Amino acid sequence: MNELVQLIVLGLMEGGLYAMVAAAIVLVFKSTHVVSLAHGQLMAFGALAFWFVLVKLDMPVPVAVILALAFSAMLGWTTERFAMRPLIGQPLFAAFLTTFAVFLMMDGIFQLMLKGESVSFAAHLPKGNVMMMGVSLPITQLVSFGSCLVLFLGLALFFRYTKVGLGMRATAEDHQLAQSTGITVRSIFSHIWVLSAVVATIGGVSLANVMDIYYPLPYLGIKGLIVALVGGLESLTGALLAGLLLGILENVSAGYLDPVVGGGVKEVAAYVLLLLVLLIKPYGLLGLVRIERI
Amino acid sequence: MLRIQNVEVIYSDVILVLKGVGLEVPANRIVALLGANGAGKTTTLKAISGVLRTELGEVTDGSIEFEGTRIDGMNPEEIVRLGVVQVMEGRRLFEHLTVEENLLVGAYLRKDKEGILRDLEKAHGYFPRLKDLGRRTSGYLSGGERQMLVMGRALMADPKTMLLDEPSMGLSPIMVKEIFRVIQTINEQEGVSILLVEQNARIALGISERAYVMENGRIVLDGPSEKLIENADIKEFYLGLSDKGKRRSYRDVKHYRRRKRWLG
Repeated sequence: MNELVQLIVLGLMEGGLYAMVAAAIVLVFKSTHVVSLAHGQLMAFGALAFWFVLVKLDMPVPVAVILALAFSAMLGWTTERFAMRPLIGQPLFAAFLTTFAVFLMMDGIFQLMLKGESVSFAAHLPKGNVMMMGVSLPITQLVSFGSCLVLFLGLALFFRYTKVGLGMRATAEDHQLAQSTGITVRSIFSHIWVLSAVVATIGGVSLANVMDIYYPLPYLGIKGLIVALVGGLESLTGALLAGLLLGILENVSAGYLDPVVGGGVKEVAAYVLLLLVLLIKPYGLLGLVRIERI
Repeated sequence: MLRIQNVEVIYSDVILVLKGVGLEVPANRIVALLGANGAGKTTTLKAISGVLRTELGEVTDGSIEFEGTRIDGMNPEEIVRLGVVQVMEGRRLFEHLTVEENLLVGAYLRKDKEGILRDLEKAHGYFPRLKDLGRRTSGYLSGGERQMLVMGRALMADPKTMLLDEPSMGLSPIMVKEIFRVIQTINEQEGVSILLVEQNARIALGISERAYVMENGRIVLDGPSEKLIENADIKEFYLGLSDKGKRRSYRDVKHYRRRKRWLG
């Protein structure tokens, strides 16, 4: 029993990480209707920037956080300005492929910089375990999970109560109508890429804290995409739910099935979940149901 | 004063929709724009508000001026900032936002918080129903409520000129009367000039001061509304009355076609 609780709690924490990456993808999709593959890289580069400031430049943690976020905001803005904006008005599939191109290009740079090695900043952050309700939890995981919850709460408040948030929600629904009411849709797109890059970076730093920075890190963006799909691509709550669900599923199934089949269950679980959910609910768990009056 | 001179609009570089349209909307006035489906009324409104470009349309000739500034070629948001707001056909709402949020989106460009609150009160004053519905998801509103909401949203931008595209479409006669009463009140009390595109010629000519009739991308008739309502062609084609004031059958199609050719 205790083992199950441990697995679930650890899964929950890991799920929070997935949820953050998924949130970044959902943000972009909601407003621009483009499914982005580039966010895996935005996330990895954010983590790399954090590592660079914290370890290489030996700066304190708050400075590293601020600089990494600023860097990723810039990166998000640049991506939108030079890769996505020229494609406004073109088929969405072109934009989707462009995000893939951005992913591949940044992947090359990422590998060149790391040269096949792995770097880690975990040593520069507080370590140790705490016992909660009979479960032993690494502090790093707790911090990551905490930032995940704060992030989602922050996003919810941002969309609910700020003007730009309202503009983003309006733009998400109808670009032409938004424009005719005076919203500058292009600048909303730009804002949303900056915001999503920042969100991706928070997720990336939290992930790198747990798993080090090496070549597979950007590919976790693909997992983020799966989570976003399961949650329903247009719903932040869906992303959070699906992320947590996947985290728990991965850990529990790996914990119980790995000894039986000899490992690897964790790698498959996400895809099985995706298949099952899409079979039953094609729009995802909380996908947007079109309002239709009859 | 909104002045359109000799405007030509081409969609996708090949389809010529407006072939030299000219009209004027003086300050504080209501002007009606009538015409059959496909005549180019909506395109005219879109050319003014600038949303044409999102549909691959382009103003290729002529000029559109608002209070002396040329606005053709400006972005839609800049045109809204100048005070020209279009209420698009089909009562399009942000369906997943609440009624109140829809109204607030209308004031997106404004920075004056008190002014926005004042205008929210004003919009609620014109359409008391919107106040009751404030927290309702707007996608579930009825047709009449939607029309109130899109007009309220346009008011929130503190406009000088409103472009209304078929406000009566699909509404019950009582609701149509109510909506046009409010349009008239808005014009009188706020001093907002209105360019009104309508199929309901009788009511449009009734509240407007001047009217233009479009056919095939051209203005073919214009004049003071009270004169137009007496015009034999208007009577025949838009009000369904013959010269003698009797109802007339459309079995007489040949005659209709002949007249229409003459008009175009």
